[in-house]
Amino acid sequence: MENYEVFEHTADIGIRVKGKDLKSLFKNAGLALFQVSSRKQFTKNKTHVNLNIKISADNLESLFVDWLNELLSLSAARGLIFHNIKINKLEDNSIEAIGVGSAINNYKVNTEIKAATYHQLRVVRKPTGWLAEVILDV
Amino acid sequence: MSEINLRKIDDFRWEIPRSYKPGMRVPGVIYADEKLLKDIRQDKAMEQVANVAFLPGIVKASLAMPDIHWGYGFPIGGVAATDIENGGVVSPGGVGFDINCGVRMLKTNLHFEDLKGKLRDLTYALFSNVPSGVGAKGDIRVSAKEEEEILIKGAKWAVEKGFGVQDDLDCTEEQGAIAGADPVAVSERAYARGKAQSGTLGSGNHFLEIQMIDQLYDRDVCDKLDLNLGQISVMIHSGSRGFGYQVCEDYTRSLVHCLAKYNINVPDRQLASAPVNSTEGKAYLGAMKCAANYAWANRQCLMHLTRKTFERIFQHSWQELGMFLIYDVAHNIAKVEKHMVDGQEKTLCVHRKGATRAIPPGHPALPQKYRKLGQPVIIPGDMGRNSYLLVGTGGAAETFYSACHGAGRVKSRTASARTVNLDTLLKELESQGIIVKASGRATIVEEAPAAYKNVNDVVSVVHNAGLAKRVCRMRPLGVIKG
Repeated sequence: MENYEVFEHTADIGIRVKGKDLKSLFKNAGLALFQVSSRKQFTKNKTHVNLNIKISADNLESLFVDWLNELLSLSAARGLIFHNIKINKLEDNSIEAIGVGSAINNYKVNTEIKAATYHQLRVVRKPTGWLAEVILDV
Repeated sequence: MSEINLRKIDDFRWEIPRSYKPGMRVPGVIYADEKLLKDIRQDKAMEQVANVAFLPGIVKASLAMPDIHWGYGFPIGGVAATDIENGGVVSPGGVGFDINCGVRMLKTNLHFEDLKGKLRDLTYALFSNVPSGVGAKGDIRVSAKEEEEILIKGAKWAVEKGFGVQDDLDCTEEQGAIAGADPVAVSERAYARGKAQSGTLGSGNHFLEIQMIDQLYDRDVCDKLDLNLGQISVMIHSGSRGFGYQVCEDYTRSLVHCLAKYNINVPDRQLASAPVNSTEGKAYLGAMKCAANYAWANRQCLMHLTRKTFERIFQHSWQELGMFLIYDVAHNIAKVEKHMVDGQEKTLCVHRKGATRAIPPGHPALPQKYRKLGQPVIIPGDMGRNSYLLVGTGGAAETFYSACHGAGRVKSRTASARTVNLDTLLKELESQGIIVKASGRATIVEEAPAAYKNVNDVVSVVHNAGLAKRVCRMRPLGVIKG
C-alpha cells in the first residue's frame, strides 16, 4: 500500500501522507511528489546523484512546505527525479537529508508540479503516527 | 460546496457582503449568471474571494470573473487592487506560480480549405518543432549574459535575436517588457530552474492551437482587424516556466514573515504579502517583473518556431502567410496602474490571477493601431470547444479594466482522469475535425473539455456585464499539448 493518497481540488491536486514518525512523514511526502508525477520507464542514464539538503524554517508546517518545495526546485534545476531520501536529522524547524536522484530522462513525467502551497496545509500528530495534507500547484 | 448568502446586484453581478466574515475590508463581487453560479458554488472559490478582501489597502471589492474556481490563496479568476499610498500590499499568491502565464493570438491569411490534407502534417510538425512537456529543453540556447538581458528586455530580446519584428512588440501588453525588472532580486535557483527552458511550451493547461474563426459577432471590428469566417489563426498559451515558479516560491516564503512584521491579518498563509512600498514588496515586484519578461520572451520564441513551421509546410514566408500577431496578454500578473476610485485617481497595485487586462478605446497604454478599437482580449477555451477574441470597453472601469482569462475548471484533474476515457475522447475530437498531439496521455484526459466550464457561457457573462465586447469566436483544429 502507498504511504500517500491523492485528494481532489478543482485546479490542483492534494496529497494526504502518513508516517509512523516525523522522519518517515517527511520522507514519504517527499517521495510522493515524484510518485504522483512520474513513472520510471527507461534506464538511459544509470548514474545516481546524492544531494545534501539542509533547510530551516520558523515552524514545523513551514518546514514541511519548504522541504517539499526544495525537492521540487532541486529536481527541476538539476534535471533529476528523487527516488530515495535519507533523513539524517529532523527537528521542528530544521532538516538535514540526502536526496538520491537519477536523470529525468529515465522517467515518463506526466504532471509538472510547480510547487507545494500553504493553502489548507495540515501537519498533525495522530495516535498511530503523523499525517499531513498539502495542496500542490500543478 | 459553498453556502454563502449572496446579494444579487443584477443578472451578472453577485455580492459577498462584508458582514460575511469579520475582517473583510471590502465586499466581494462575483461576475456570473445563475447557471455559472451553480458551478462556482461547487468548491471553495467564493470563500477565497472573501479571504482576499482581508488584504490591507484593497479598494472597491475583491472581484471574481465568471471563470472563477478554487485556487490556493487567491481564487483563479480573481482581481484585487490595493491602494499603494494607503498601505496597499502586493501578494505573490495574487499572481501565482506561473508568473505572466498568458496567451497570444496570431492571424494568418490561410483559409480552412488551405489546410485540407495538411492539417495532420502541420499539427505533427508543430508538435516536433515546439518543445513541450515536462522537462522539455528549448532549442533556443541562451548564454549566461543573455539570461539577464532577457529579464530586462523581455520579448525585445527575442526580436533583436531575429525571432520576430517590431510590430510584434507593439502588439504585446507592455510591449513585451515591463519596466522595473530587477535581476538582483532573483535567486540563483530561479536562474538554474529557468535555464534552457526559453522557447518551451510547458505542460498542464498550456497549449498551441491551430484554430478557425467560426463566428463573427462584431463585423465592424472584424473588418478593421481583417478577420473573416473560415480564416485560420493560431493561439499560444504559455508562461514563465520554472523561472517564475521559483520566484513565486522564494517570495511566498519570505513574505510569510512580513505578515507579523507589518501586522497583516489574512486567513490563509498563501495570501502572504507585504506593503508595495516596503523593501520586501519592492523586491518581489522587481523579481516578478523579471519572470514576466521571461514569459514574454518565451511566447515570442514560441511564435517564431510556429511561424518557421508554417513556412516549411506552406513554402511561403510568414509575412506572405499573413502571420501577424493580433495581441499578447498576461493573465497572471500584478501591475501598478492608475484608476479612479470614488472619483479620485489612485495609484493601485492590480493583481490579476487568472484574469486579463481589458483596456478601453483611447487608453494611453494602447498601441496606435488599437487606439480606436480598444485592447484585444484573448480568451482561450478548452481543446474541444471554442476560444474568443474580444475588445476592451469603458464598462470594465469597475473591474480595473479586467476580464476573464479562460473557461475555468469545473472538475479536478483526478476526477477528469477517472471519468474520461482517452481513446473515446480522441475519437470524439477527431469526429469534430480536431487533431490532438500531446507529450503525455495523462495531460489529454486531465484537460478534457468536460473538466472545464463552457467558455461560451463565461464569455457571454463578460460581454453582457459590459466588461469586454465579443468580436469573434474560434474553434480548434489542431491542438498541441505539453
